[in-house]
This record gives sequence, C-alpha cells and structure tokens, in this order.
Amino acid sequence: METFFNILISGILLGGIYSLVSIGLNLIFGVVRIVNFAQGEIVMLAMYATYFCTTYLGINPYIALFLVAPLMFLFGAAVQRIVLQPLQNEPMMQIFATFGLLILFENSVLALTRGEAHSLSGAYSSMVISLFGLKASGVRIVVFLAATGIAFALMFFLQNTMPGKAIRAVIQDRQSARLMGINVERTYLLTFGLGTALAGVAGALLTPIYTLSPYIGGNFILAAFAVVVLGGLGSVPGAYFGGLIVGLIESFSGYYVDPALKQAIWFIIFVAVLVVRPSGLMGQVGAEEVGLREQS
Amino acid sequence: MTRKLSSRFSIAALLFAASMSLAWSQAQPIRIGAINPFSGPLALYGDEVARGYQLAIDEANAKGGVIGRKLELLRGDASSPPQGIAAVEKLAGQDKCEFFVGTYISAVSNTASDAALRYNRIYWDTNALAGDLTERGLPNFIRSGPYADSFAVVSADAVNELLAPALKKDIKALKVWIEHEDSIFGTSIAQLQKTLFEKMGAKVVGVGAHNFRAIDLTDSILRAKSAEPDIWIETGYVPDGSLLLRTMRDQGFKPQAIMMLATGDTFETLDALGAKYLEGITVVGYPHPDQTETYGPGASAYLAAYKDKYNREPIAPQSMTAYVGMQMLIEAIAAAGDTSMEKIRAAAAKMDKPSKKYATGFGVKFDDKFQNTRAFPTVVQWQSGKVVTVYPKDAVQPNVKLVNLARE
Repeated sequence: METFFNILISGILLGGIYSLVSIGLNLIFGVVRIVNFAQGEIVMLAMYATYFCTTYLGINPYIALFLVAPLMFLFGAAVQRIVLQPLQNEPMMQIFATFGLLILFENSVLALTRGEAHSLSGAYSSMVISLFGLKASGVRIVVFLAATGIAFALMFFLQNTMPGKAIRAVIQDRQSARLMGINVERTYLLTFGLGTALAGVAGALLTPIYTLSPYIGGNFILAAFAVVVLGGLGSVPGAYFGGLIVGLIESFSGYYVDPALKQAIWFIIFVAVLVVRPSGLMGQVGAEEVGLREQS
Repeated sequence: MTRKLSSRFSIAALLFAASMSLAWSQAQPIRIGAINPFSGPLALYGDEVARGYQLAIDEANAKGGVIGRKLELLRGDASSPPQGIAAVEKLAGQDKCEFFVGTYISAVSNTASDAALRYNRIYWDTNALAGDLTERGLPNFIRSGPYADSFAVVSADAVNELLAPALKKDIKALKVWIEHEDSIFGTSIAQLQKTLFEKMGAKVVGVGAHNFRAIDLTDSILRAKSAEPDIWIETGYVPDGSLLLRTMRDQGFKPQAIMMLATGDTFETLDALGAKYLEGITVVGYPHPDQTETYGPGASAYLAAYKDKYNREPIAPQSMTAYVGMQMLIEAIAAAGDTSMEKIRAAAAKMDKPSKKYATGFGVKFDDKFQNTRAFPTVVQWQSGKVVTVYPKDAVQPNVKLVNLARE
C-alpha cells in the first residue's frame, strides 16, 4: 500500500511538471493559434539563465525566477513582434518560423556550452519530505504548488481583468473581438509574452531537478503537446488537469506495466480522447476548428 | 638512331617522373581522418577522443614519424550516420586521407567505415562499443578498444571478485537488479549481464528498461526498490544516470552497492550529485590514468603529456583509450611498411602483445573479426569527489582501498 501511495504522489508531482510546462504553451496555442515548436527550447533557455544566475551571480534559483520570468516575457514579446507578427496571415509559415527558432536556440546554446552537461549543486535538490513512509522531493513539491498557483492566478486574470477578457474574446473569435474594439495584435503580444514568461517560470523551477543539456527542451515538449490537446485548446484548467492525468497515467503504467511502455500508454489514451472528444477534456467544443478557419 | 634516342629519353623521363612522384608522396605526411562529433551536443567527447589521437601522433612525429613520413590528423565532424558518410567522402576525396579513425558513436562508425571501404581505406576504430560493428566482417574495419560485451563481462567479474567479497556475501546469495536504457546499446549489455550473473549463481531479481530522455524515473526506482537487491547496476547516459541517482536518493533506495556502466565517472555526474552522495559508487568505464604503471605502462606519462598540451586534467577517460588505439595503428603501419588496406590488415592480424603493454593496460591480439581480444574496461570508485581505479587488482595503486560501498 505504501508503494501505491508513493506512486500516486510521484504521479501527481510529475503531473505538476507537465502542467507547469503546458500552461504557457496552451495559452499561445489557444490564443495566437501557433503551434509553438520552440516552447521547449524557451524552457531550456530559462533553465540555462537560472543556472547562470545561480552559479555565476550567486542568486538562489527561486529568487532568480523573479529575474528570469520578466526577461522571458520581454524576450517572448520581442519574438512575437519581430518574427511572428509579420507572418500573421501565413499560419504555415509561422509554424516553420517557430521550428526555425527551435533550431536557432538549441544550436546557440550548443555553441556556448560545447554540449557539456551542467547541474546545479546537489544542495538545491536534495531536500526530501518524508511522512509515514511516503517520500516526496522538496523541489518537485515546489513545482506542483507553483503550477497550481499559476493555474488559479491565470484563471483569475482571464476572468476578472480587461486584458484577460480580451484574451478570452480572441480565443473565442478573433474577428468579432476586433469588431468589439479589441486590439488583437496587442493581445497577441501580451499572450505570447505571457506564455514565454510561464515557460521561464517552468525553466527556473525545473533547473534544480534536471541535468541541463541543450536538448532538454525536447524531453518536455512532446508531453506538453499531448497535455494541451488532451486538456483542451486554450483552457487553463484543461492544461492543469491534463498534466496531472498524464503524470498519473505515466507513473502507474510505468510501475505496474513497464517503464519502457509508459509513453505508449498515455499516447493511446491521448488518441482515444481525440477520437471521442476532439476539443479535449475541458476545451470549448468547436474551438479546435477555429484555427483552421480563414481569419484576418 | 634518332628513334632509339627518343625512346630512351622517354623511358628516362618516365622513370624520373615516377621517382619524383614516389619521393613527393613519401615527403607528404600520412593523413589520418578522425571521424567524431566535433560540433553539437556530443562534441565534448568527440574533442576529447581527438586529443588522445593527437597526443599519440605528436609522440610518433617527435621520433621522426613512421615509414619515413610524418603523421597529420584531420577532423571530420559527424554526429549522425549520414554525416559520417559525408565526412569520409570529404576527407578521402578532397583531403586524401589514407586512414580513418573513430568514433565513439557506434551508429556513425557503422556508416563511416562502410564509406571508407569504398575508398579502400582502413577504418581503425578505437571507441565505438556496439558489438555488431565487427560482426559485419568489413575487410577495412579493425577495432582496437573494448566493446559492449567487454563492459558486461568486466561488470560481472567485478561484482564476483570485488563487490561480493566486500559485502561479505557469497555470489550465490547475491541479489542483483539490472537497469538499462532501452536502446540496443543498453539492452545488449543488460542481456549479457543477466546471462553471466545467472551462470555465476547470482540471483537477478529484475531487469528494468527506461528511455534515456524520460523526465521522470521514479517508477523505475520504485520497481527496483521493491525487489530489494543487494547490488543495483545501471547502463545508460549522463542525464538518465544522474536522474536515476537523484531519484534513488529522494526515494530512500539504498542498495548495498551501486555500479554504473559507461558513464558516471566524469565531472558531469559529480556536478549533479555532489561528492558526498557519490562516495562509494563504482563505475565500469574506460581505463583512467591513475592506474599502476605495471598495469598500464605509460599512463602517467600520458597524463603528463595531456596536462602539458591542454593545461588541464583529461575531461573523460575516453581520450587515453583513443591514444592507445592510435599507437596501435602507428605500430601496424610500421609493421606493414605501407599504407594499403591489405598490408595493414595483414600486419594487424600478426600483432600479438600480452595485456598490460599499453597505458590502458591493453594488449593486442585481434580475433578473426578484427576485434582486439585484449582490451578491457576497468572499474573506478568515487572517493572524496575523485574517481580512483579499484579493479582489476593489479591496476590498483598500493594506497587505494575500496571504501563505503553501503549507502548511508
């Protein structure tokens, strides 16, 4: 029984990681309608930025977060304005552009690090909470709490603030939103910046857990895309609970079936959900089709 | 008369041209193409392997070269199988390389050696581990270093001769968990380990496979933990190895001994886990230069030469194996007196030196598939933030002892 609860806890904490990485991606996916292939690499850039702040400037990674996230917001806004905005009416070109950014970010970090793997000193990641024989890593608990907090804060922002309402309006219908006087371009800028900042938060909080390599972003992004589609396009609670579901499925199937098959199992469930409910578990029905419609 | 003179003149001119051409080719250095990743995420070890080659070449050139010619190393950057072919094409066609050496990525070695065969060039492999490279029977492929099976054999022998006695357990009472990354590399080693342990009478309580890019490996650790093994052995890469060790620490999984294969003995693992946690963990890997001079004659000279040229300690032990591999190639060229593929192959077939003749402790004797049968990895242990050689016995410095196998 103790093992069962340990797997349950590890699944929930893994789900927290998936949720944290997916929320920003889902926001961009849902609002700007861009499949941002570079989102994993933005997480990677944030991880290296945090590593730099901690190792060379002596800043605690959890404090570095407050430096890295705003920087990533500015970075994301700049990418949106300079690279993606000019391609606004070329959805396919935008996808290619984000793929180009992926290669650019990866290779830039490769050139700078020569591929050396780096890790923060063990002191940041060695705290373990132990209760009644159940064990949980302290840094993973922080990630889970952050994902939960961010999900609630983002829901509040989208429901109760004017920029949030503008984002929701653009999610529902870009043209109607424009007719209502919403500055769609500025909403894109804000959303892309916000999505990038959330990737920055994820990167900073994940730095104490993983060994950094220029390719680490790719490890997160496959799961994140699955979470976004499973949870529902543009839905913050969808990304949050989708992440938890994928985390739990992965943990239980890894332990009770076979660790080598765990990804295959959650992809089977992912495909099944797509067949039964294409809008995802918590997405607005029909939202998945909006991106395919000609919009101006 | 005029005709006779003319034909004599022609013959003389031809002979002169031929002798000039021979003299020109002899004056040219022997160019050796090193196929490795020199850019991208794998470049760190590619560079390190090339440093080993360069040290052996410098050493030979200081003695006047080989067969009257100096040696020159040219780099061919290849991180993927297609790049391996392109690098060989360029180095053979454009740069006129007469030999190829490589490659610590087996998949690259596979295609690059095949491409080298089209130019009738020897592919002298020093660092690829996949067993099937020699099984192909390519007439130009010769491997001077250890391969996957050697790692499995040494890990089983070290458990039997070193760890079991240290744990005061009979091998037949020993419970072993074998963990491996799920590509052909980790899987083939794990399968052989299982066979060897079972032959020795040890109880293999489980074999676990994981993806080396997985972002969570708690399930793998909980499975192993529930089997309560005495020894946990892992084959993988740096990121998954570090994540597994971190998860073991978080989950309080403390087998009596931990052994890692192929990675885990560099600063990257030290960075990730810290000296305190690593204390006592053993690693089966390429020989390190700290071993005794009786086991690896020239190891300390190699270390001094490395520090002198690169102003730092070796980044990874792969370079010393590459250095020794290059020494063997140079000896084969000297014995052949020529650079042609057939003559080098014939000379290599005759090479016969007992173990402990090179800095790595290797000897040289190729089997009929041209795999060196006298090249083996060694075992090191983390002690106070450094790795020290602890197996085989005659490689161990007199002041070194096995420490703290049991986890705290």
